Amino acid sequence: MMNRVPIYVIVLAAGLSVFATAQAGTTHNEVVIKNAVVMTVTHGSISNGSVYIKDGKIAAVGKNVSAPAGATVVDAGGKYLTPGLIDSHSHIALDDDVNEATSPITPQMMMIDAFDYQDKAIYRVLAGGVTTSLLLHGSANMIGGQAVVIKHKYGLNRDAMLFPGAPQSIKFASGENPKRVYGSRDQLPSTRMGNFEIQREALVAAQDYMREWDDYKAKVKRGEKDATPPKRDLKLDALSDVLRGKLLVQIHCYRADELLTEMAMAKEFGYKLRAFHHALEAYKVADQLAANGIGIATFSDWWGYKQEAWDAIPWNAVMCMRKGVRVAIKSDSDDFARRLNQEAGKTMRYGGATEDEALRMITLNAAWIIGVDDRVGSIDVGKDADLVIWDGYPLSSSAVPNKVFIDGDVYFDRSLPGFGMPHYREGE
Amino acid sequence: MKSVFGRSSFVVGILFSAALSLVAQQKPVVLRGGKLLTVSHGIIEHGVLVMENGKITAVGAEGSAAVPRNARVIDVKNMTIYPGLIDSETNLGLTEISAEDMTNDLVELSEEIMPHMHVYDAFHAESELIPVTRLNGITNAIVAPESKDTLPGQDSFVQLAGKSANEMLLIRDIAMPLNFTGDQRRNQSREKRKYPSTRMGMAAQLRQAFLDAQDYQQHWAEYEKKKSEAAAKTDDKEKKPPSQPKRDLKLEALLPYLAGQKPIILAAEEASDLESAVNLAREFNLKFVLNHVSHSQPVLDYVAQLKVPVIVGPIYETPKPFERFDAVYSLPAQLNKRGVKIAFASFDAHNARNLPYQAGFATAFGLPYDDALKAITLNAAEIWGVADKLGSLDVGKTANVVVATGDPLDVKTDVKQVFIDGQEIPMTSRQTRLRDQYWGQ
Repeated sequence: MMNRVPIYVIVLAAGLSVFATAQAGTTHNEVVIKNAVVMTVTHGSISNGSVYIKDGKIAAVGKNVSAPAGATVVDAGGKYLTPGLIDSHSHIALDDDVNEATSPITPQMMMIDAFDYQDKAIYRVLAGGVTTSLLLHGSANMIGGQAVVIKHKYGLNRDAMLFPGAPQSIKFASGENPKRVYGSRDQLPSTRMGNFEIQREALVAAQDYMREWDDYKAKVKRGEKDATPPKRDLKLDALSDVLRGKLLVQIHCYRADELLTEMAMAKEFGYKLRAFHHALEAYKVADQLAANGIGIATFSDWWGYKQEAWDAIPWNAVMCMRKGVRVAIKSDSDDFARRLNQEAGKTMRYGGATEDEALRMITLNAAWIIGVDDRVGSIDVGKDADLVIWDGYPLSSSAVPNKVFIDGDVYFDRSLPGFGMPHYREGE
Repeated sequence: MKSVFGRSSFVVGILFSAALSLVAQQKPVVLRGGKLLTVSHGIIEHGVLVMENGKITAVGAEGSAAVPRNARVIDVKNMTIYPGLIDSETNLGLTEISAEDMTNDLVELSEEIMPHMHVYDAFHAESELIPVTRLNGITNAIVAPESKDTLPGQDSFVQLAGKSANEMLLIRDIAMPLNFTGDQRRNQSREKRKYPSTRMGMAAQLRQAFLDAQDYQQHWAEYEKKKSEAAAKTDDKEKKPPSQPKRDLKLEALLPYLAGQKPIILAAEEASDLESAVNLAREFNLKFVLNHVSHSQPVLDYVAQLKVPVIVGPIYETPKPFERFDAVYSLPAQLNKRGVKIAFASFDAHNARNLPYQAGFATAFGLPYDDALKAITLNAAEIWGVADKLGSLDVGKTANVVVATGDPLDVKTDVKQVFIDGQEIPMTSRQTRLRDQYWGQ
């Protein structure tokens, strides 16, 4: 079907025209999607329902919606409509710049500086129904770097793809990866003791740094003329933001004992954890995660790829959910990001998640982990019109997105030739 | 759904190893009232299936088949019954924890031409991965070495239950992978670069290996000829046999393939590699089955005209930047449409249990449902030469039978019971034991 286009042609074309000119994502047309099974996530499914979109937001949802005569009507033909899926753990579009693995503490790394907005993975994942992704630093470092939240508006320029106003997340890690990366170089850390010592030391340094700044500010306030500001340190700035609760802390963590240690460390230094990622042994300590309001972003059934994934079980997600943990299913993979819906469907089999619960794991709960649940993740009035019309039942093996809307605009349409993207044409 | 296969009823005797102590099926088992997906002759809505002495002895509509008097009758109303699934390439039994080297026996990387490596020598019958896999209805699999060598060794066809490796290894050395995807080049880094660091090198090395094997065969043929000539002599002095050539296990291993007695599993992804690999195979008259062809969309008519089966995918293989999002997803449908016999494989070990979902996903891109199911049952059995025993619900076949809550290709379907050789397999694994330990705590 596809003709092979030499890669340099694509790069040239993309560089010269497509990304320079395509800014079509800001249309303010009014759209009505009608005749759909609307899976709202928050208030059940509406058969033969409609969604009215105005200025990129959901303006009405229901059996019948009143919309102006001029609105564009999209007949979903009885198909399923879900919120755009949300991947709360992704490493796409970072062109291998995922780990600054030269020091175990690098909180000053900003993933946006590596964000490769032309990566076709953004498109392939969009074609799987994902509209929002959290692009995270890798897990080589105990404290990696600060994340980017994107909307999958492939074809637009870099800044148009950033999720406006999304809170800043920072990635922590633990366990095998840091100790392997640095241990193999005969450096600290090479054990879990070393891992946590390094982390604790960094946080202590940040406390000292904050104190120095507080002292300085107090002096200035008192009008002391000779007050000199401490030297700015990007690393300690970032860690201060952690301690001040300005960043959402996302921790890569597998084993139950390490989940507990990370929670204890957060308590010791007075910061809050947003979510544990992977968290394959969370089912062993789920009540404690729930009590602390910490979510998990986990796999449905991946296991055995390393020692700390040996106790992974596919019932993890539902067992944690039943204990009151907010659970998201995430990809951590260019491949799985394209079929998060199937991964969520597995939770209905492993533990008996309901349709709403399964869908919530790849929409609203994922949005909460990223801190954008007031904006996306369900089909509710006032939210961004990020929507997917599916060919087939979404929580099954055999569903494919038919159309994907972001902010009310179609970014993927399976029925279109070529790549199926209204805002992107290759080689033009 | 309330079922006879509740969680507790089958937790009898906790198993700590994959190798089951299977005793011959004691008593006939009858599955009554289920929806039978026979694969070979359509769907029987309210069917009955009888298993005796490890074989399927009756398949039909309820009431049509005689129920043996001493049979154990299991009510499987509202359940879907289908033949055990066959995964056409796995690394099961060769790996336990991917990142832990000592638990892996995946491929011998010291050389590229290793046809004398036999996976049966490493197959770990007690692997925890095996119960995990069979709990999702996969009863048989090809075990292949990892594809990092051009000729990494020979595959075995296994059954995922049995007293020991000996019982589980149904067919040893069933086929030999020939990998020509470029990943076999020894070019990982400038420092570590060695021959063959290019596809040219890979091809030259392969040719030499097959030529050496032909030469070796010739020596032995000459020897055998001289030996029989000597034996035919009447004069005792002339009866002295010629000296025997030295055995070479590597070259010996290639002979059945040069003779076309067994298939080569020819792996290529891109069209150019595919054509090079096919030319190589033809140069030596090798019988072959194609593997992957993931990025060969421009030459699918050529593939069809080769008239060989294809183990396709995995369809999750990421498209190239110039390919549409569904270029690989739609490959099974595109091949099937051209009359190519396809089979799916997980190409994995830990995730082998997810084999049926790949077939399910392919239906979303145009593969007819029946053909998708065939590609993990009967087609696979035919490709591996075991269709007389496996791959469908037919009288006389091995009683590898799965009882599930619905569509075998869907992620939501729960497998309730697996029978292998007519034996009820305990539906437990390391993972179910952890679940039961922590559930409700």
